[in-house]
Amino acid sequence: MNPPVQTASDRITRHAPIDRIFHWLTAIAVLLLMGSAFLPIVGWKFSWVPLHWITGLVLTVAVLFHFVRSTIFRRLRCMVVWPRDFGDALKGRLAAKYTLAQKLMHAGLGTAVTVATVTGVIMLAKVDTPLWTRNPYLLEASTWGVVYVLHGASALVCLTLTMAHIYFSLLPEKRAYLRAMIGGQMSRAEAAEFHDPKRWSGQRKDDPHENHP
Amino acid sequence: MGPDPILMEIFRITRNAWGQETLEGISWDLLPIAAALGVAIIIGHLAWRALRRKRPRP
Repeated sequence: MNPPVQTASDRITRHAPIDRIFHWLTAIAVLLLMGSAFLPIVGWKFSWVPLHWITGLVLTVAVLFHFVRSTIFRRLRCMVVWPRDFGDALKGRLAAKYTLAQKLMHAGLGTAVTVATVTGVIMLAKVDTPLWTRNPYLLEASTWGVVYVLHGASALVCLTLTMAHIYFSLLPEKRAYLRAMIGGQMSRAEAAEFHDPKRWSGQRKDDPHENHP
Repeated sequence: MGPDPILMEIFRITRNAWGQETLEGISWDLLPIAAALGVAIIIGHLAWRALRRKRPRP
């Protein structure tokens, strides 16, 4: 017996091309930043500073773009963790566009990347580049210490959460999300496993149908 | 008296030329702990997933 043929209407769009470009650009930048930060610490010596600050600038632009796009041009509320999400998860109710686990991962990794980016931009004042001259006296020594602590702590959180994020994306039962992050789409059947079609239709114009307070 | 030994494990603290303590950043001794936490999440989830699959559905 032949498998059922999937038609175009069986597939729904989960991620717009611009969001997928942002995701993979950020992923490469974060991996390069963690590699250039942590490998010298564990003994792999190389000239890591240029790679680190240039990649940091790319990540800063990407984060600014995502911040503007998601707060002004997209519906930020669909990614906010609401009390209702915990109730839905506990009662086994299907989610809207994003499940509680996805929202929590985004909140954790998003916060860590934002803190690392903001402190990283401040730390650029200590690097001599073709674009600017270093100014190590921009802040008091004690304030620099706080900036370094926040940058290092957020980098460590990024390491833990990135490991978890990659692991979850590779699980067979979550593979549809990985395919959607690559190709943009998933089937209605795959979406219906974790998402309520009444709350997330996959239609770009009206997604998601969330009625939050 | 030197810096608090517990603080030294979480933060990198040095002394400047005038003997003042200066905060240098987070201790890199925490790097393997962060990696181990990531591994613990993965192993914990794999174990939970395996147990959930064995449990008969009502």
